[in-house]
Amino acid sequence: MTETFDIAIVGAGITGCAIARQLARFDLSICVVEAANDIALGASKANGGLVHAGYDPTPGTVKAQVNARGCELYGTWAQELGFLFCRTGSMVLGFNDEDRAHLEQLRRNGYVNGVPEQSIVGPDRIHELEPRASADATCALWCPSTGFVDPFEVAIAALENAIANGATFMRSATVEAIEVASSGDDARFTLATPAGNVRCRYLINAAGNGAADISHMAGAEEFQMVWRQGNIVVLDKEPRTLMPLYPVPTPVSKGVIVTGTVHGNTVITATAAVREPGDTQTYASDVNALLTGAHKLVPDLDTRRVVRAFAGGRPVIQGTNDFFIGQSAVVPGLFQAAGIQSPGVASAPAIAERMELVMREAGVELHERADWNPIRREPDDFDRAPLARKEELIESDPAWGQIVCRCETVPEAEIVAAIRRQPGAVSVEGVKRRCRAGMGRCQSGFCQSRLVTILARELGCDPSEVLLEDAGSWLVEGPLKGVR
Amino acid sequence: MAEFKSNAIDCGVVEAVQTRAFDVAVIGGGPAGMAAALAAHKAGARVAIVEREQHLGGILRQCIHPGFGLSHFKQELTGPEYAQRFIDKVHATDIALFLNSMVLGIDSGEPAEDTAVHTVTLMSPAGMLQLTGRAVVLAMGCRERTRSEIKIPGSRPAGVFTAGLAQRYINIENLKPGSRAVILGSGDIGLIMARRCTLEGISVEGVYELMPYANGLRRNVKNCLDDFGVPLHLSTTVTRVIGHDRLEAVEVSQVDERLAPIPGTERIIPCDTLLLSVGLIPENELSVAAGVELDPRTRGAVVDQSLQTGVPGIFACGNVLHVHDLADNVTTESERAGAAAAAYALGTGAGAVPDCELTVSPAGIAGYALPGRITAVALTKLNFRVRRPVDAARVRILAGGVELFAGKVRPFKPSVMESFPLPAKVIKQALDLGASKIVLSVDPIEEA
Repeated sequence: MTETFDIAIVGAGITGCAIARQLARFDLSICVVEAANDIALGASKANGGLVHAGYDPTPGTVKAQVNARGCELYGTWAQELGFLFCRTGSMVLGFNDEDRAHLEQLRRNGYVNGVPEQSIVGPDRIHELEPRASADATCALWCPSTGFVDPFEVAIAALENAIANGATFMRSATVEAIEVASSGDDARFTLATPAGNVRCRYLINAAGNGAADISHMAGAEEFQMVWRQGNIVVLDKEPRTLMPLYPVPTPVSKGVIVTGTVHGNTVITATAAVREPGDTQTYASDVNALLTGAHKLVPDLDTRRVVRAFAGGRPVIQGTNDFFIGQSAVVPGLFQAAGIQSPGVASAPAIAERMELVMREAGVELHERADWNPIRREPDDFDRAPLARKEELIESDPAWGQIVCRCETVPEAEIVAAIRRQPGAVSVEGVKRRCRAGMGRCQSGFCQSRLVTILARELGCDPSEVLLEDAGSWLVEGPLKGVR
Repeated sequence: MAEFKSNAIDCGVVEAVQTRAFDVAVIGGGPAGMAAALAAHKAGARVAIVEREQHLGGILRQCIHPGFGLSHFKQELTGPEYAQRFIDKVHATDIALFLNSMVLGIDSGEPAEDTAVHTVTLMSPAGMLQLTGRAVVLAMGCRERTRSEIKIPGSRPAGVFTAGLAQRYINIENLKPGSRAVILGSGDIGLIMARRCTLEGISVEGVYELMPYANGLRRNVKNCLDDFGVPLHLSTTVTRVIGHDRLEAVEVSQVDERLAPIPGTERIIPCDTLLLSVGLIPENELSVAAGVELDPRTRGAVVDQSLQTGVPGIFACGNVLHVHDLADNVTTESERAGAAAAAYALGTGAGAVPDCELTVSPAGIAGYALPGRITAVALTKLNFRVRRPVDAARVRILAGGVELFAGKVRPFKPSVMESFPLPAKVIKQALDLGASKIVLSVDPIEEA
């Protein structure tokens, strides 16, 4: 079976979903083709969720052009797409004169990159801004535009909005081959996937760590990717959410950052080590480095309260530390957003905006649709709903009063809604990313068996077919002996 | 800086929510909550139990093994049988039951007021409800420590379960979690699950224990491992989880005296299931939100001899207070808490005005001492647990540097929660010395 679209976007990470959302306003048919069975299963789910302000990239790089702009756009995107975004501001803490010189350099970068309202502050202001910041910090780069998001939520919200505006999502559709017909053809690219073939006129490569493979399959640029792996630790909720605190960056990474999250947890992110491609293991040495690094910034952090440790690979193009956003120089009609490592989350809305511009410049005709709806209504979040809304929900359906996940107060109706959304959750982790069931301190020790029951019922399958994440991640083998 | 919305519910300001008045509101309908409610009811209080599940009984519902009731009923029962005895008793009373109900918060009003009542806000499929009571008993139990808390490195495939979750799959859902299991942790749940898995045709490759001794009760090591030929590997832990989608193997390593893995001792054990029995943590998020101070050692509330927390009128008992090894002990403790809560609510109790103010601290190899405060000169039950096993040690009670009491020399094990009756005259002696602190010390005897 082959379906034809104007545009196919390979990769439903935050980059691909943001581009889909950006282009869905135009009179074009769009298909997002994803190898995994859900949205944001690559680098997009394995990062700290920080919306960096943009003082870090070297001026003149692509990163420098999209980071501060992305950070700026998040305010509008959060409003239109109904996801949580906290613009708290951040501090890069310095502990000596050498650090101070670095901070000055970062501030100059930030100034050139268009980062607003930065200033260098002293100890009194540091502790006024974040009382838990280390008392040893003598100076800090205060940057009010920094914020944080739940990166899965951003990707999910963007794709839901694109789909509501007519885009198509193909999951479990690993691109196995790309055929490129001679130019001039109306749909010159044909992608072969196990879920069916997709023909398209324009192809957008947003395949994250798979971007080099896609480019190679299309006969375009030969990128060499490096798997710069990072471990990340999530701590339990705090009475007061922490502002992001950074150390002075190293040449390869921003160092170990401590930040609050939109749900009140604390995240310590991230180590950076080149490892075997595909390695998402956590390492004791990395986790220890995170906890040690975090203590330097926030000495009273209770690092025993680890809720989750995880790891992912940043899609880094070898030989450059920069993003590649543009039309292929070899294969016209192929547009690439490759090497989207850090600050990929922060830049996503601006990468999408830039992709639109690049396509216009390449002569792609983009006509705005009259019926485009920029708004995605945020699904009901029971835990955050005011008491009156909680009552209303329970009155509308008693399943809103049936709490399944105790740690995050997620009722059955919210889980069912997560499964029924377009595109909906098809796994236990997919449910977790959409409504937080199982994301809390007990890590689904209490609710996993209930989630399996609900998923089996909603998807019309046997509990043994319910997956934790992607294909092969079965949770139970089947009924016990003697029980049928 | 942006303001963040707090997760705490402002319980006081909602007027539309229906309110029902009681003397004692018990949070949790497991063995602790039921025993506390029954004792409070017996003392003449109007009592309510709030339970998250559809049924009373708590975790006992999935503990289908025997071993319950030996001290309380002088009879060996399974968990569900033990629970049923209390469920029947509760049903025979007019104790109000709020099942399928999740407590969102406890609001304690102005603590200084004599007439202060606590308001418990709960929700269920029927809607929101507020219960008021002069006394509240916290009986929420505990949760299992997770893989993340003990920081096992490696990948994150399906097939890594806490032992209690696997127990639920098997005993409640009739589902088989896998075929080939490794169990980390020789706590009682781990040992019981080793036997349960074996009986259900799941091959148990071994039980691995970080410490140089088994953490569960001796009887469980014998009945669950020895009798079924399941090997116990001491001073060994899981150092890596292997497998992308479903668990394929674990790497185990021996550990040194400082519990650090010894390089070169790694072994790969193929398995599709890893069960973790690596400790229990009292579930006190609700208590903390209500202003209850916790003891960092037990991770339960700091209580006085009547099991009252630092918030007047809020009591705690069972595994939410400290982790017990026998349900029978939970029952006994919770009956005390329920009676004390009723006495507080009805104003019939002694000690409305404290006799004294003493703190109790652990020393030597005692890991904790409970209660942490003593406010009455009366026979007081002290609970403690040692941090490591010893063949010969004695309990000593000290105040102001003076030894007031020394117990018999005997062995102690971390798996056993100890109970020690502290006579009123010892408390009196401490006060006569002008002490503000009593020390419970468990001291190993070297030459014994």
